[in-house]
Amino acid sequence: MTGDLLYNNLHIYLFAALFLLGCGLLGVIYRRTLIGMLISMELIMNGAGLNLVALNSFSQQGNPYGIAFTLFIMGIAAAEAAIALGIIIAVFRRFGHIEGGEIREMKG
Amino acid sequence: MTPGEWIFIGVMATTLAGTLGAVLSGSLIYALVGLVTAMFGIAGIYIYLNAPFLAMMQILIYVGAISILIAFAIMLAGPMYRRPKEWTSLAKFAAALAVALFSLLLLLKVIMGAVRTASGAKPLVVTTQELGRMFLDRLTLPFELISLLIVVSIIGAVMLALFSKGEK
Repeated sequence: MTGDLLYNNLHIYLFAALFLLGCGLLGVIYRRTLIGMLISMELIMNGAGLNLVALNSFSQQGNPYGIAFTLFIMGIAAAEAAIALGIIIAVFRRFGHIEGGEIREMKG
Repeated sequence: MTPGEWIFIGVMATTLAGTLGAVLSGSLIYALVGLVTAMFGIAGIYIYLNAPFLAMMQILIYVGAISILIAFAIMLAGPMYRRPKEWTSLAKFAAALAVALFSLLLLLKVIMGAVRTASGAKPLVVTTQELGRMFLDRLTLPFELISLLIVVSIIGAVMLALFSKGEK
């Protein structure tokens, strides 16, 4: 029977994705620098992707839409990381630091 | 337990340890190393979910590209000794922990309640050929739009980095 193997259980994947989401949420809230928040955002996006792939794999529908959308998430994450790098450089040039709580004006 | 299950436990432990390292470490470089470890673990989980193409893409995009971008951001954002400490006050950490635990428990309840029927089944096998056909057949418009999005975002990042004003 392959049904009772540990890795054929949907809940384990969902719990792992939930753990990633919880840790990412924790990091986004308590990190001080923008880069730490960016790292936590990547964790959240990975949790979302893992969730989609796990639910798609166990859904028995035969359509790989979950995997396709996880690939889209990866593309969006790459775009987001590039934009975040640009924003972090701009913020550092203007303020001299990258502390998220200390950035008080957004103009220019 | 079969060897596959032991390897699965190892992959899961790698992911969870990397995640904890990425969130809890005081230095950003260690956080980045933790993120890379977690990404490798997730690639292993994708292999267990019968998606080897996705595992390769995970390693290529996250480990290869995004972590390099974050490393560049860490390097470009000033010297290490002028960096503030990552650990803030204990009250803020407690508040963040409360929010994270609350959402965790809420979603745990949702998962335990809603997704009861699907366990015990064998994972679906999706070949890379099938996936490629799907991208160029049914998902052509999003596939093209995402390339447009990446081009726009890269041009935007270059513009942001080039034309941002200096210190006042």
